[in-house]
Amino acid sequence: MRGFTELNPAVIAVYYICAVGIAMFCMHPVIITLSLLGSIMLFIALGKRNSVKLHLSFLLLFAVLALINPIWYHNGVTVLFVVNDSPITLEALIYGVCAAAMMISVLYRFRTFTMIMTADKLMYVFGKLSPKASLILSMALRYVPLMRRQTGKIRSTQKALGIYRGDNIADTLKGEVRIFSVMATWALENGIITADSMDARGYGSHRRTSFSLFRFTLPDGVFLVLCIVLSTVNISALALGGIDFTFYPAMSGISLSPLACAAYASYGLLSFMPAALEWKEAVRWKYLISKI
Amino acid sequence: MEILDIKDLSFTYPTAKSPTLNNITFSVQEGEFIALCGATGSGKSTLLRLLKPQLSPLGEVSGNITFRGEPLSDCPAADIGFVMQSPEQQIVTDKVWHELAFGLENMGVPQPQMARRTAEMASYFGIEDKFDKSISELSGGQKQLINLAAVMVTEPKLLILDEPTAQLDPITATDLINTVKKLNRDLSLTVIIAEHRLEEVIPLCDKLLVIENGAVAAFGTPRDVLRTLYSHKDIMCGMPAAARISAMLGEPECALTVREGRELVRSYGNEQQPDTPRKADDNAAPALSFTNVYFRYERSSPDALRGLTFEVRTGEIFCVLGGNGSGKSTALMCASGILRAYAGSISVFGKKIKDYKNQSLYNESLALLPQDVQTVFLRNTVREELEDAGVEPDVLPFDLAPHLNKHPYDLSGGEQQLTALAKVLALKPKLLLLDEPTKGLDGASKRNISSLLRTLADSGMTIVTVTHDVEFAAGCADRCALFFRGEIVSVAPPEEFFSENSFYTTAASRITRGHFRKAVTAERTAELCRLNGRKVGAQ
Repeated sequence: MRGFTELNPAVIAVYYICAVGIAMFCMHPVIITLSLLGSIMLFIALGKRNSVKLHLSFLLLFAVLALINPIWYHNGVTVLFVVNDSPITLEALIYGVCAAAMMISVLYRFRTFTMIMTADKLMYVFGKLSPKASLILSMALRYVPLMRRQTGKIRSTQKALGIYRGDNIADTLKGEVRIFSVMATWALENGIITADSMDARGYGSHRRTSFSLFRFTLPDGVFLVLCIVLSTVNISALALGGIDFTFYPAMSGISLSPLACAAYASYGLLSFMPAALEWKEAVRWKYLISKI
Repeated sequence: MEILDIKDLSFTYPTAKSPTLNNITFSVQEGEFIALCGATGSGKSTLLRLLKPQLSPLGEVSGNITFRGEPLSDCPAADIGFVMQSPEQQIVTDKVWHELAFGLENMGVPQPQMARRTAEMASYFGIEDKFDKSISELSGGQKQLINLAAVMVTEPKLLILDEPTAQLDPITATDLINTVKKLNRDLSLTVIIAEHRLEEVIPLCDKLLVIENGAVAAFGTPRDVLRTLYSHKDIMCGMPAAARISAMLGEPECALTVREGRELVRSYGNEQQPDTPRKADDNAAPALSFTNVYFRYERSSPDALRGLTFEVRTGEIFCVLGGNGSGKSTALMCASGILRAYAGSISVFGKKIKDYKNQSLYNESLALLPQDVQTVFLRNTVREELEDAGVEPDVLPFDLAPHLNKHPYDLSGGEQQLTALAKVLALKPKLLLLDEPTKGLDGASKRNISSLLRTLADSGMTIVTVTHDVEFAAGCADRCALFFRGEIVSVAPPEEFFSENSFYTTAASRITRGHFRKAVTAERTAELCRLNGRKVGAQ
């Protein structure tokens, strides 16, 4: 089995939708703790160096988010202390901590998502949704830097010609407007050539297929099925009220019914799966290298 | 077997008064390599586009085109491959693998087949290591190779190339032409190629088709065709040096390659070899001087210029030659003040470049014409361009009158070069810097530019030109310099420069080596042959 990052991008995308979706709709201390730990562990497993600054900034953000709630909200029955005639309650504090943990875990997830999903993987996922959109995206990704480079070239040519760039702002501005307008012409002119080239290679003559370098293999299938099964357990537990948790006015206890336990276990598995896969790969490599 | 048959093809553009193509008739056998040549505006591109139904221009067509026994219009896009001039704009997607797969995606080919065919193409073209790369990381030559591979992936029966090497330097251009020849030989692929770079293509092609004013001027094996074209100066001037020498001497058999050229030249005597008069003044004041100039693009990158030192004298044409990435263009950018050297000094007319304040460098002293001349144009017509620059069209040393109302982008490469030059000349520069002025031009336009530069230099202008084109440098330079790894390793007048180099030299110099001293152009060779006459006993 391959590491998490080498899975088919569509499977990775499904995983993120499941993991982040459940964490966001399920305000339950256990689920949130599992989500936070899992996302941090994946971040560490991806082995990004010099990330101390990021961890510290997330910690600071966590503290701020956690404290905002008890300062503004005074619901709850357990008053800890009173500041300026406003009671600070335990329930509001716990709610703040949970909400902050949820947000930080989502931020970590997004961080790892952008690390794993490079532009071509995203393109592939878009291509699965709509081949046309993915072609347009691919063309745009090519055209933007191309236009930027051409603008730079025109600007330096015009500088060495010294016609439009005078010493006053009005001349410079006039020059810039000209450059902008000629860039529009240039883009259209080149667009015609690109369109010709597309026609010449039979664009629009058949129903398009879409080629990608990513394959869908057995490990992808296993991972996908696991993802869906685990999420279904969670979603049904959520729908049946098995993992409800109320903060106000008094906190309900953490349910330990079989349904709730199944939900905790399945979300825990879901949350830690990627980090575990990555670590397994790392260990395997170490073992292989020591054998070589 | 006949693959393509064209009968009485005429074509008129909707707004044109006279037909662009007139009664074109010829046929192509399967597996033939056909070179198409003709002056700019003779209808080459129109003809090629009419052979590709998806690109056929709108207009009035008459006559018949049959492709593999059926009308051409029924032919699917995949069967005829078409490669255009510009490497950059033909590319559709952002990744090499996606570009290779694009044609197959359009045909609706299933994924496993696409994987096989793209892999096959990548290994045939030797671009496996580039497969995952972004297009933007590739050089112009590599991009053109991708374009060729992307067309070949659909297994076309006929490959049409419209000046595929116009934007490439000579070495990558030769590579591309050889790749096309390899495809032709390995797969018996039929090829029709329009080219200006005939030195390489003519010896490789089976047949040569010459178009003049929209009609077939000649069609047949290159030797026979060239023999009938001896008096057509505009067409002959783009031909291989050996053929030009044959034409100038009126030989009954036309030589095509350097080897045949050598045999021809050796049948002439070599007793009299008068020196050519030197044109340049060795003691003229320096117009541009570089002293120990160092430049790098980024702090961590290697030096692009390392200790560059040279001097250009007032009133001379100084040609800088050298490979890709040797720093030639960088040196021009530094001289024009666009880039700033981090060590050493650059002086223009004895005054350091730093001491020219507020644009004064660009006022009546120096002007740079970049490689991509399209970047010079900002307006919608040539007339507006000239008005902006303050030029009267009738005081120019060349005629732009027929093009005044056209958009600059609609002009041909040679016309664009002249228009850009007109704009630059309006600044009355005393020092003109040119970057690849002959890129993508046909033989006749090159000759125009060359004689124009001579006229300007004679009127006192100093010209520095960076070029890959050795024939051009040999024909018009007063001195040539070889750039290598950020410095100039040799400077000499072209006769010495090219007769001492054995690889980086003109075809004429290769032909005359060991027989004539310092004959580096076809004209000079023919002149010496005529002077000495045929050896007694040679046929």
